Amino acid sequence: MKMDSPNQKKVIVIPCSGIGKAFGSIARDATYEVTENLRRDGTQTLCLALLVSGDEESLQLVRNHKCITVDGCPLQCAEKNVKLAGGDLAGSVRVVDVYKENRHLKPRGVTFLDPDGQQMALALAEKIAKQVDNLVVGQ
Amino acid sequence: MVEVQEKKVGIISCSGEECVEGTMSRVATRLVLGKLKPNETVTICLPLFLAGGREERDFARDYPTITVDGCDRMCAKTATERYSGKPASSIVVTDILKNWQCPRLGTRRKLNDETLTVTRKVADRIAEEVDEVLRHWV
Amino acid sequence: MSEYFTTTYDKFELRVRKGFYYTKDDLWVSVENGKAKVGVSDYLQKTSGDVAFVEVAKPGSTVEKGQELGTMESAKTTVALLSPMSGELEDTNSKLIGKPELVNSDPYGEGWLVVIAPRNLDDDRTSLLSADDYYKLMLEKLQSGHDKLESR
Repeated sequence: MKMDSPNQKKVIVIPCSGIGKAFGSIARDATYEVTENLRRDGTQTLCLALLVSGDEESLQLVRNHKCITVDGCPLQCAEKNVKLAGGDLAGSVRVVDVYKENRHLKPRGVTFLDPDGQQMALALAEKIAKQVDNLVVGQ
Repeated sequence: MVEVQEKKVGIISCSGEECVEGTMSRVATRLVLGKLKPNETVTICLPLFLAGGREERDFARDYPTITVDGCDRMCAKTATERYSGKPASSIVVTDILKNWQCPRLGTRRKLNDETLTVTRKVADRIAEEVDEVLRHWV
Repeated sequence: MSEYFTTTYDKFELRVRKGFYYTKDDLWVSVENGKAKVGVSDYLQKTSGDVAFVEVAKPGSTVEKGQELGTMESAKTTVALLSPMSGELEDTNSKLIGKPELVNSDPYGEGWLVVIAPRNLDDDRTSLLSADDYYKLMLEKLQSGHDKLESR
């Protein structure tokens, strides 16, 4: 796992990665866009399933860092699981809310994102990045 | 009332955000569900399963499952055993890759052509397991 | 005794509320005090995906049986909602503006769409399906595999 820089704790961005819907893939891709590109020095991601399986390193990470969950649908599995793990849930984003703001986009691809899915992922990534910035300012 | 249920196998993939093998696990599972065995398999969404999704847990309890994990931490297998029961079969991508001569794997975000070729082989392996599970279904 | 007819398809449980009427386009109608409350069936919400927008005619509008009274939209599809009755639209579910996901989470309850004051309730009711008949229709649709179900 990546180490924090001396003066600033990373924000942990955790997607649901739901496998049955395009929105799950979009949540995942947006998380990569943030953690590998837009805010690569200030964020990292984490496998959601590790929290529930009781992986101690993962549990300590979410309890000691601010977390933003990225959920594909209103069931909000990432948010629920981070809360159950006792994580410091500082923000949450839903793909469906980004869809409401970008109604013209109709993502169909689940296994691989189609152009509409890629665009939605970028819009979602910007939203997540803004939440990261707000948290960093508050630290 | 007439039931429409047939023999199906639930496939549970890890979410695998942290490593390329996690993405391979996910894509291979999707290939099985969508292309190789669309009529014989059902997707179980792991995050929903973990969050208490009743349909996911009930299906995994009542029907045979195959778990597909990216690495030896085996989150999908652990969760299935904990919440629904022992899977009929478990596949770990890193274990399979050890036995194959694989090219250097690409990034976790977008699988390059070579990694995709290997992923398709993983999907074929999963499909073989589906056939095996169905063959032994009593 | 259950309030629903229930079947399982793959991992999905599908329910048909007893005591309601239904259209072949998967809307339900509940008649109370001469008024008709209308919503979407469990089958329709599951095949539509996560509902993001529900747009219906305004209260006071006249609706005609078989004509569009509104639409329901998800990233996957836009469904035209065809009125099961002719009459005046008396009420619409304003909760769906901020929480359209109620259609998915509670299709027979909080996810209701509109209330119609019907012009010819008895006549219009004769062309609706009973819950029993709609359940059989739903099973046929499932067996044909025409629509893909989505998780909720």
